[in-house]
Amino acid sequence: MSNMNSIIKKINRLTPIPQVASKVMSIAEDPKSSMYDLSKVIIYDTAVTANLLKAVNSAYFGLPEKVDSVHQAIVYLGMSQVVDLVLLSASGENLQTAQEGYDLEAGELWKYSVSSALIARELAEKKGIKETHLIFTAALLKDIGKVILNQYVKDSFDKINALVTKQNFTFREAEKEVIGIDHAELGGMVAESWKFSPKMVEIIRHHHRPQESLISEFESAIVYMADTICMMMGIGVGSDGLAYRFHPEVVESLELTETEFQKMVAGFVEKIEQVESMINV
Amino acid sequence: MNLIVGVSDMKVTNDIEATLVTYSLGSCIGVAIYDPVARVGGLLHYMLPESSLDQEKARKNPYMFADTGIPALFKAAYKLGAKKQRMKVIVVGGSQVLDQKGFFNIGKRNDIAVRKMFHKNNVIIDYKDVGGTVNRTIKLAINTGDTCLKVSGKGEKKI
Repeated sequence: MSNMNSIIKKINRLTPIPQVASKVMSIAEDPKSSMYDLSKVIIYDTAVTANLLKAVNSAYFGLPEKVDSVHQAIVYLGMSQVVDLVLLSASGENLQTAQEGYDLEAGELWKYSVSSALIARELAEKKGIKETHLIFTAALLKDIGKVILNQYVKDSFDKINALVTKQNFTFREAEKEVIGIDHAELGGMVAESWKFSPKMVEIIRHHHRPQESLISEFESAIVYMADTICMMMGIGVGSDGLAYRFHPEVVESLELTETEFQKMVAGFVEKIEQVESMINV
Repeated sequence: MNLIVGVSDMKVTNDIEATLVTYSLGSCIGVAIYDPVARVGGLLHYMLPESSLDQEKARKNPYMFADTGIPALFKAAYKLGAKKQRMKVIVVGGSQVLDQKGFFNIGKRNDIAVRKMFHKNNVIIDYKDVGGTVNRTIKLAINTGDTCLKVSGKGEKKI
């Protein structure tokens, strides 16, 4: 399929994730690493350091004084939080642009990605998962496939939309049917080309169908749930709208009650403005 | 001048230069009201149906919930001289993820909440576009009462 070749070629045209991202991830996973190891890795990437400090000083954290070094940021927020912020600072390049095919203005997909990542991390902590950085990053990058598929969705929007509105397809299923590949599958390929761990690839690939994930069903379920909450809140939602499937068995696997679910939504709503201040939308 | 109403937010005004706008309603519901005589308009963007979920949050921000936000919207409009019998009422939003059933279906529960409340208080809805899987944005111009509904991927229309 000629479409497919041109799509796959475009994976290489994305701005690669800076090396600092994978370095901080491995530091985070190594119990012997210290805050000095972490700050040493970060300060070599000046662009990421600048973004990190901007985020640390935003209203989201409301720190009592201005933080102007990575070391100080770690003292205030802890290693785990700083690792997430580095991952965030390193991931924005591709996701901040407008995606016309999905009817998203510049910054909207980014806001959606950051919001899902924050919700996913909260949920992961609630469920006692240790690999919060894996989940945070997967939620942050899960829609990277949309950045490539955007042009194809734009060209075939009427066909895709007809399947969604008339034949009960989800938007993802319609992408697959019309274009030959969907944004989740493509996102998994991007993650593979960036040499992400098999778990990360799997979560991104299955973020709309976590029950089909073989090696990381629970982690995928968390990212799926965070995505669903964002969609319902309308955060950075575009022409695909809420046209994805709800899987009650996934909610059951997370043992999430309706009240807990609504409380998470309510809690996040209070933070939306601060999230905007953090990512400068 | 656009006056932006955020998620769990409400604004009421009689400034004829102003246009009230709320973006990106997913399962949330937007309620727009307008009195053409007093030229007073209001817009509420609530997220959840019932304040019993968290009284403390409802006290801090009544606009988060239907049962506290809707009365606050009407009261604020009355304060600026609006009258219920002249009011044009528009309800949009309440989308659902496909196959969403039961308690997690916040879009549907948000819709039921507003309908129940309006039924009890004899408020008639003049225009309604609720449900489905789409994402909506609504604008209300205070000078004319003109209201526009934008559905993502499908463009904008005057209602």
